Amino acid sequence: MKKISVLVFFWSIIVYFGPYDTTQGLSSKILYIHVPSVWIAYFAYSITFAYSIKYILNEDPKFDSMAVANAKSGLVFTAITLISGSIWGKLTWGSWWVWGDARLNLTAILFLVYLGYISSRSFNPDLLRTAKNSSYIGVFGIIQIPIIHFSVIWWRSIHQQASILSQETLASGNPPISTDILLILGLGLVLTTLLHLLFVTLFRKISDIEWENYLNPSNRAKI
Amino acid sequence: MKKNILFIFLGLILVIFGSINLANNNTVYYFTTSEALEEIENMNERVKLGGFVIKDSITKINTKTLFSITDGNTEISIIYDGYVPELFQDNMGVILDGVFEDELFLADNMLVKHDNEYISEDGEVYNAKDYSK
Repeated sequence: MKKISVLVFFWSIIVYFGPYDTTQGLSSKILYIHVPSVWIAYFAYSITFAYSIKYILNEDPKFDSMAVANAKSGLVFTAITLISGSIWGKLTWGSWWVWGDARLNLTAILFLVYLGYISSRSFNPDLLRTAKNSSYIGVFGIIQIPIIHFSVIWWRSIHQQASILSQETLASGNPPISTDILLILGLGLVLTTLLHLLFVTLFRKISDIEWENYLNPSNRAKI
Repeated sequence: MKKNILFIFLGLILVIFGSINLANNNTVYYFTTSEALEEIENMNERVKLGGFVIKDSITKINTKTLFSITDGNTEISIIYDGYVPELFQDNMGVILDGVFEDELFLADNMLVKHDNEYISEDGEVYNAKDYSK
């Protein structure tokens, strides 16, 4: 808990002191929250995907704990992405949410799918069964990530296209971002990665205890 | 094991098909000024129009804002009546919602579209070719 607050503190420090885009003004600092968060969410769901496959092939509770812990952390970061993006949208576009935008809608669905992944685990007290079912959601869910990534190219709408993986970067070798902004963005990514690892450790412990109680009912605390 | 793989495969197809279908049906495209002028006879209903605000074209009359937008090739004059986002300014990308009256576009909703450039005040300036203008 202490480590988490320290990381969040450093994260807010870089947001507070970080440079901003001259056209957008201060609101562009939301970039340091929004962008690393969604990258970590993608990363977390990819790990969930890998461990879900591992669990389907070999029903080791350790694989399931790892998949769930990553999905939970991913869900936290997806929520941060949606909230920070919505605030940025209000300040830049002039609207909290644009219903006609593919990337916004698909990201909201991504959130719902992994919310479903986590809630599917409480549908049945039989952990062996729910773990198996949820691991299928963990496998299907991953396909949304490339669709979301390319959504800004496939469907022309309000969300700006990628900066770092953009045509400009391919053409010139430099992303259309000032070096100092890019540096702070990198720092934000380091902090969110560490934060993600702490979340995963925390959530894994919870899942391990659940499995322990399920597999050895005699160890359960006496009521 | 084979049943599992088939199940995963079917699930993946369902998710891909579902998301693409959903995005296709619900995503509102905006027309660029050139596209809109080409098909101006068919523009009887409300449409979305996107482009960059032409420099020094903005004038305000009462509640209405008059300006022109361009995609680099063609221009369309806009009469806008509605909430003006804070970032609305010269050279900014905007997406307008409204109707055509001859070659004039009457809009009542505006979104400011920011591009993918982030240039700080004292940082090194992004020096590649200028793509947006």
